[in-house]
Amino acid sequence: MKTVAKVGGKVCGFALLAFVGTFGMYMFNLENKLIYYVLRPLLNKHYDSQSRDRRIV
Amino acid sequence: MKDLKHLIYFENLLQEAQNELVSKAVDEGKKALGYNCYYIPEVLLNLDGCFSSRMRAPNCTSTDVASYYMTNRTCPYARSLLERAVEGGYNYLDCLFGGENCATIERMEEHFFLLDLVKKDSFFVTQIDPPMKGDKTNLEYYKVQLMTKVLKPMQERMGVDISDEAMKKAIERHNELCRVITEIGNFRKLDNPPITGYEFHVIQLVSQVCPHEYILPYLKETLEELKKRKPEKKFPFRARVVVVGSEIDDPEFTKLVEMCGAMVVADRYCFGSFPGREEIEILEGETAFDAICRHYLHWNQCARFMDGEKIQQRHDEAMRLVKEFKADGIIYESMKFCEFWSYEKVMAHHLFTNEENIPCCTIEKEYALGAVGQLRTRFQAFIESLEIKNIQGGK
Amino acid sequence: MFDKVIASIDKKLERFDPIWRAEHGVGGQRDRYYDKTGVAKYREWRGCRDTFYDYTCWLKNLASMAQMVASAPVACLKGFWEYRWMGSYLGTFMFIDRLYEGYRGTELRIAHMHMHAIVQSLTKRIAMILSNDERFGGGPLTDRMVAMDETIASIMMQGYKDLIPIPLQTLPEFIICDVDQHIEPYYIDVAESFGLPADVCSRCAAETGVALDDAYPIVGKVLISTNMPCNASEATSMFQRRRYGKPDFAATLAMQHNEPEALPFSKQVLKDCMAFVEKEYNVTFDWNSFFKAAELFNEQNTIELEKWDFFKTPYSPLTGISETLYKLYEWQSVNGSDPYFNEVDRKVIEIMRQAYKDKYQPFGGRTRHRAFLWGPSAVYYTDFPTWVQNCWGINIVLNMDSTMGYNMINTEDPEQAMDDLTRIAEKTTMRHMAVGGWDNVNSVWDWAKSFNCDMVLMNDNIACKGMLGVHALMEEQARDLGFHFIFIEHDLEDSRTVSRQNMRDCVNSYMSVVLGEEPLDPTIVEFDDSEAY
Repeated sequence: MKTVAKVGGKVCGFALLAFVGTFGMYMFNLENKLIYYVLRPLLNKHYDSQSRDRRIV
Repeated sequence: MKDLKHLIYFENLLQEAQNELVSKAVDEGKKALGYNCYYIPEVLLNLDGCFSSRMRAPNCTSTDVASYYMTNRTCPYARSLLERAVEGGYNYLDCLFGGENCATIERMEEHFFLLDLVKKDSFFVTQIDPPMKGDKTNLEYYKVQLMTKVLKPMQERMGVDISDEAMKKAIERHNELCRVITEIGNFRKLDNPPITGYEFHVIQLVSQVCPHEYILPYLKETLEELKKRKPEKKFPFRARVVVVGSEIDDPEFTKLVEMCGAMVVADRYCFGSFPGREEIEILEGETAFDAICRHYLHWNQCARFMDGEKIQQRHDEAMRLVKEFKADGIIYESMKFCEFWSYEKVMAHHLFTNEENIPCCTIEKEYALGAVGQLRTRFQAFIESLEIKNIQGGK
Repeated sequence: MFDKVIASIDKKLERFDPIWRAEHGVGGQRDRYYDKTGVAKYREWRGCRDTFYDYTCWLKNLASMAQMVASAPVACLKGFWEYRWMGSYLGTFMFIDRLYEGYRGTELRIAHMHMHAIVQSLTKRIAMILSNDERFGGGPLTDRMVAMDETIASIMMQGYKDLIPIPLQTLPEFIICDVDQHIEPYYIDVAESFGLPADVCSRCAAETGVALDDAYPIVGKVLISTNMPCNASEATSMFQRRRYGKPDFAATLAMQHNEPEALPFSKQVLKDCMAFVEKEYNVTFDWNSFFKAAELFNEQNTIELEKWDFFKTPYSPLTGISETLYKLYEWQSVNGSDPYFNEVDRKVIEIMRQAYKDKYQPFGGRTRHRAFLWGPSAVYYTDFPTWVQNCWGINIVLNMDSTMGYNMINTEDPEQAMDDLTRIAEKTTMRHMAVGGWDNVNSVWDWAKSFNCDMVLMNDNIACKGMLGVHALMEEQARDLGFHFIFIEHDLEDSRTVSRQNMRDCVNSYMSVVLGEEPLDPTIVEFDDSEAY
């Protein structure tokens, strides 16, 4: 019984943490800030440095 | 060279859509059938009792009313025709055979019936759905379109005889005109031709805008005159070019190119003789109508064709003209705001310059010849480059 | 008890709700954003229930994306590395947030059901295409794929059990330009660097640019191009077929699709196209397989027509961009091939029936005008319908694109089924009304009237030659028929020519000067979002 309660507690704790973490990320728009200010600039730098096979045929 | 006897007369005929020969035919009770594209076979509009009138808007310098209707971001050729119609310049027409060839032309034609622009009670407009491929399926559709939207209305609304016999006769007359124009045009193949590109442009245009039976005698006489005409002692141009493009119905454009030093030796554009003056051949087992449809679909070089074979054909045709008329280069023209030719000239420039090693100059122009200074600069630079290439032995 | 707690929390936190703030004159939607960027400092507070619902939907979409990467990690990484447009898909979350700003209650639920259907389908598709892209070495499905122009009714391909139709332009151009306003200008510049004039339709210029930049995924054995919907798209296919370099077939359907001669011709073109596919892939058409897909398609259409009945009332929670985007995707990319969409349709129509019974008014009853939206919107401003609702209370009841080919397909007789299929194919995106003559354009007034609209918003693509050609006639018709009529200038995929604010100004001027109305949310009348995705 104790073990079940312990495991249940851990699961609930983990679920709560996951919720707080993801909800915080959601509410404060963290993933979009990361994408806009960090990831996309890096990717754009890469795309701008690509040499493309640019031709008509 | 000595001036051509009828050149000034021809030039005058081009000053307005309803010229004296058109008026003469109308006065005699002939039906004036307007059209503005090669997709509508000229030969069909020249059946007994009617005549074809390819629509132009000469000297149209302002398109204020048309721009109100269609904005100033649409094809200036279409807008000029609309403006001229609003002014009453096409009141001689009995009908307009149009098509959904391109969006702007189609919309322009719609204004003719929506705004009731031609002041003639019996006037009507039909619009075909022109094919975009050269295969059998599209040929059959083309036939259906021409039958239901051109021939049937001619028969039912104007009483025109559309029998096979009548069409054969029309083909004969058409072929005769084509032979004369082609023979005149072939002089341009000579190293030192007795005709200029400008003169030919004028001759070709009058053959499209005047009733054939009235203009043909003048053309025949001009042909005879050309046979005897002495060219300049030395070829007076620095280069030879083929002009490819859309609606070039202003001979001043050709004159501009030639004044910059390059003779226009072949005219592969909408008002030109390639295509337009090839003879129609009736194959064994074919009706005259079948032959006409096959002929026009085959020779059509419109930039709107989408299938590989037709795209290849139009590029091959330009190449053929370069070779046969010994041209040094090609000028690709597109009308401002023309989607089809905008794309076509990008492709053509690549093909001719990079793959075929044929110098190619692309330009964009208004319908009324404006911005002459800019065009002149472009042509002069291009012709200079052709000259340098010639001096360097084609390298 | 629970409801009371929620209500009490909602009351306490209502000052964070942008709608409440706008109503009380202390702010509005734009307060949440960093200037110019389109990046919100925090997400919209919509009340406890709606915020939590929005959060769960965000999680679901996140899971779909994670699933996409997990299903093909190497291919996805290669895709991100190779294709500039792939990077833009990272803006999807911001895109969804933008679209559903101000959505609450039932309209939010339907909107998310629709969006998740798109996200789950699209992510699977991206993974599949990248895993089989010849550029990355190909995959087991490469030779079973058929690259097609995106405007061809792909349901035709459902008769080939082993083949997978791939709308070629959808990933690099058609969808992504909705997500990121900065992506297509890059491809437009590529096309223009080869001499293409800037006055051609920017959508087609972008498609050309993608081809010239060698940025289409390479799949399948052939390319099927088409003359739909307009001149520029016909012309651009010349570049795409050359660059793609595979055997191609141009399916050129009749332009004047309302005329009796059109059907036999277009039908034959489709038959020719099918013969081409059969020859190239050595397959035969299986009517049973086609009929199964047709049943799904018919169900979608049946539900769609029922939805239209609700659209005619003030009680439709399906509205604006939620309706438009889903319909467009469902029609173009699903076309009876994914039962998930049928499930969504069934759920949505149930919700709509209930909402009608409850006399539920979307957007808190703040709608002032009912508008029919004409023409493809500027795709860099897909949330425009959301903005007109939030700012001026203009409810976009139906979009022109949503009225494309909605006839049923016979599921027993192959000949009749071919006729039905042809009718659908002829009336594809942007083509139903924009080509084929004046009557098709002019029908907008009948549509607007039958949906009880008092307003027509006419998206005025400054490079669309077909619609520019009827500019004044449309204005005159609006005056004669008594509709509020606003031309909204845009350049389809090039936000540099006409910015989002320029578009907003068209509406702002009409609403304030002509109608003398006050905005619902003054913070979104004029703002700079030029650096937003």
